Amino acid sequence: MTAEAPPATGLIDARGLARVAPWLVLIGGVLALQLAFGSRVGFPAALDTFFSDPVDAMGAWIRSNRRSHPVMTGFFTPLTNAIDGVISGFETVLLWLPWYSVVAAAFLVPARVRMWRAGLIAAGALLYTGLIGLWEPTMETLALMSTAVLIAVAIGVPLGVWGALRPRVEKVMRPILDAMQTIPAFVYFLPLLGFFGVGAVNAAVATVIYALAPVVRLTTLGIRQVPPQTVEASKVFGSTRGQILRKVQIPIALPTILTGLTQTIMMALGIVVLAALIGAGGLGENVFQSLSQRRTGRGIAAGLAIVAVAMVLERIWRSLAVLDPMQRTPRKWRLYGLAGLFAVTLAGRIIGSVDFPDVWNLTLFDPIDQVVVWARDNLSWLTRPVNDFLVAGIIVPVRDFLTESAAWPILIFVTGWAMWKVKGWRLAWFGAASVAMIGLIGLWELSINTLVQVVTATLISVAIAIPIGIWAGRKPRIEAAMGPILDALQTIPSLVYIIPVVILFTVGVVPGIIASVLYAIVPGIRITALGIRQVPEESVEASRTFGATPRQTMLGVRIPLAGPTIMTAVNQVIMMVLAMVIIAGFVGGGGLGFETIRALTRSDFGLGFEVGLALVLMAMILDRYTQAWGDRLQPPSAV
Amino acid sequence: MDQTCLEVAGLWKVFGQKPERALELAEKGQTRAEILDATGCTIAVRDVTFDVLRGETFVVMGLSGSGKSTLIRCIAQLTPVTSGGVQLDGEALTSMSEEDLRRVRREKISMVFQHFGLLPHRRVIDNVSYGLEVQGVGKELRRERALGVLDVVGLEGWGDHYPQQLSGGMQQRVGLARALAVDPELLFFDEPFSALDPLIRRDMQDELIRLQNEMQRTIVFITHDFAEAIKLGDRIAIMKDGALDQIGTAAELITKPATSYVREFTKDIPKAKVLTAGDVMHAADGEQPRGSVSLLATIDSLLPDLLTDPRPLAVVDDHGSRMGVVDREAVARVLDS
Ligand SMILES: Nc1ncnc2c1ncn2[C@@H]1O[C@H](COP(=O)(O)OP(=O)(O)O)[C@@H](O)[C@H]1O
Ligand SMILES: [Mg+2]
Repeated sequence: MTAEAPPATGLIDARGLARVAPWLVLIGGVLALQLAFGSRVGFPAALDTFFSDPVDAMGAWIRSNRRSHPVMTGFFTPLTNAIDGVISGFETVLLWLPWYSVVAAAFLVPARVRMWRAGLIAAGALLYTGLIGLWEPTMETLALMSTAVLIAVAIGVPLGVWGALRPRVEKVMRPILDAMQTIPAFVYFLPLLGFFGVGAVNAAVATVIYALAPVVRLTTLGIRQVPPQTVEASKVFGSTRGQILRKVQIPIALPTILTGLTQTIMMALGIVVLAALIGAGGLGENVFQSLSQRRTGRGIAAGLAIVAVAMVLERIWRSLAVLDPMQRTPRKWRLYGLAGLFAVTLAGRIIGSVDFPDVWNLTLFDPIDQVVVWARDNLSWLTRPVNDFLVAGIIVPVRDFLTESAAWPILIFVTGWAMWKVKGWRLAWFGAASVAMIGLIGLWELSINTLVQVVTATLISVAIAIPIGIWAGRKPRIEAAMGPILDALQTIPSLVYIIPVVILFTVGVVPGIIASVLYAIVPGIRITALGIRQVPEESVEASRTFGATPRQTMLGVRIPLAGPTIMTAVNQVIMMVLAMVIIAGFVGGGGLGFETIRALTRSDFGLGFEVGLALVLMAMILDRYTQAWGDRLQPPSAV
Repeated sequence: MDQTCLEVAGLWKVFGQKPERALELAEKGQTRAEILDATGCTIAVRDVTFDVLRGETFVVMGLSGSGKSTLIRCIAQLTPVTSGGVQLDGEALTSMSEEDLRRVRREKISMVFQHFGLLPHRRVIDNVSYGLEVQGVGKELRRERALGVLDVVGLEGWGDHYPQQLSGGMQQRVGLARALAVDPELLFFDEPFSALDPLIRRDMQDELIRLQNEMQRTIVFITHDFAEAIKLGDRIAIMKDGALDQIGTAAELITKPATSYVREFTKDIPKAKVLTAGDVMHAADGEQPRGSVSLLATIDSLLPDLLTDPRPLAVVDDHGSRMGVVDREAVARVLDS
């Protein structure tokens, strides 16, 4: 750089002015807007019924034409019946089989390819669900999730392959997949209600839509990652396109595809509980019951059963993906296994011993309740101040300030300004328009209520996750020790651990925030640790060579280099918090979450659409903003 | 049978959006860098013409980025050529349907890659039999042939391992076995030994020479190592910026480099070890030669003799007929140049 600093004139020089100008604009704009519009708080909801009326009308139309219109009878009804057939088929078979046959099968399928450990885990997981007396709902949930995952694979893998082979297809698919993953799953429930009715089918379809993205994405990634040389090698030997795909690309991509499948199963897991809300039955219902009865222990028991289902599915799929014939157990053993399974099943059916015996039941977990009650009675010195500080100190004042004191255009202006600052005009217009739209459809106050909770939960999560993530990134042993806790937080359905939180803090906004934090810190910690660990050792050593202290190395090298990844962590935290909005609605968080539940339980399509739209817009604003910020931290790439 | 196996004529390959424009500029004699600046296109292969004889090992040597891989990929039709023709046994590969091309590949062509290009999800034996598998050869026969080829490359007993479990040198033996299993007429090697340690590289080179003495395939071998080119090649083509500077035997390149670029490479080569009596001999000019040496004797082996006795040596062929003489002055001239 040869540019010389311009000579200082007056109080601040030109460069200094350029730096403070945006902030002056911000402050000036806010003050001007407050003066101009201050007397008129509350958003003029000009489009209050603009969307909801037509959507209501459409909902009504769908409802009345459900059994008559050709689109319904010709497409959706048969589709619904087909999916229903698969789910109830699974369910019937699983419940017809004696329980020990199901457990044995869970062992034998992985054992077929010598995955003994996986087999034992799968069988053990199922055994657990039976022992605590949840066999029947577990089989229902297993049937539902198997169907959803089956459909997700059947659609996702071909789509992913297509995207990998045709860059243009991938370009079209990418934003759609992004949106599918950004939009909280529960938003899908209501619109699907119209087409698929209440029940398991709707839940399966919503699960497929929500959980499809990872399979597609990772299939594309896996196929792309196959070294071009390997593909060329098989081409040189005269392979056809199909042979290359079947014998080379898909098998090599298989581990990556399986990673996608694991993610899909995990995401499906998150929906199981919510699925009970629309009548899908299964374990989700047990969780809801435990929540309304405030039975922490039973909630945990049912939550663990859901985790067990995911584990079984994951192990079975992984074993099915082992294609190498030499990995198989000797043929004789396999035949014995199969014959034994048949014999036992037949014998069991004949003597009529099918149902899981009543060994233990849910009361096994009741002591946990006593611990929670003890904590409630003895930890109020801690819980009460936390509760009061969050509610009276932060959320209520900020919410009231934004909805009652500040003029509504200010939020639009500030959003636009912030977007402009990180990325430029296009994003600024997008942000401002999105905020305006939320107000126009008449959800201004509810959205601000939710926004304040989301931002609070995000800030707390980031304040916890990033320091821990940095620490874990430096100390692999810490990370290893935290692993199981993080896994549990991420896999046990959040409605389960919200139960003790509700007991400790009573209903209101705080349990929702705490549950969101618990859920969202997991990816926050993991991604931050990853970012710190990925900093090239050479850069760190270079810094040490110059005599930097560990602190200087951390602040000057590690954290800046990990910056973009840390922003990804923040982004993920926000997405997780948003996914919890509906959970917050269950425990008195109010806002859009509660409206969603209301719309769902009443099949109020218009309201559901509007709430969904507001949430999607909010998610997109926050997502773009954090992503743009992360991009800014990226060092300029070499030409 | 025709002596020529592979004919490459006027081959061009341009990467980028405006190949016609780039070709136009290239015809006007602009360099690769100028064309890249003007059009954003890379001239990867520039008007390359050569023939490869049946049973010959033809080496293409050039620095990284000179277009060797692109050339071989164009010949094997792994990437479409911009213009020019490639003929294998008189069949034009460049104008073939995808299906015919597949047939030719199955019947005649094999390739060994720098980074092996093995299939990590298949055991060694299934990697080796891959070519036979896509041809639809039955399982038993496939296995038998693959085991046979594994013996040939010195990998007996490794069939049930996965490629990742083998060292780099062994992995490349698998690559070689895979290429040989289909009994190809024409073998392409794209820097097959560049990723290996020097000692292992030498082993593999010797192994290839041994195999080639036994089987006499037609080979197009690519390398960036001039010493390797000299060791393996019957003829060598020097490639620079996509074009061939010179084609010839090692001795021709060393004694009569066509460009200063070629001379640069030959400079550091121990000429006495490469050149033979046949390369430096001249007609007898009076003085009676003593003793006789073979055409193929390296200068290296003659030096002690020539230094102790100033009289020239007679050079004879396999049948003992005299072809010329070699003396101190002739040797000194080539070693100095
Ligand atoms: N797919 C491609 N697209 C654009 N340019 C390429 C491509 N492949 C090779 N090139 C360019 O062509 C030139 C020759 O590359 P290559 O044939 O790989 O050289 P070599 O094998 O001799 O190292 C290089 O400048 C390289 O950047
Ligand atoms: Mg190359």
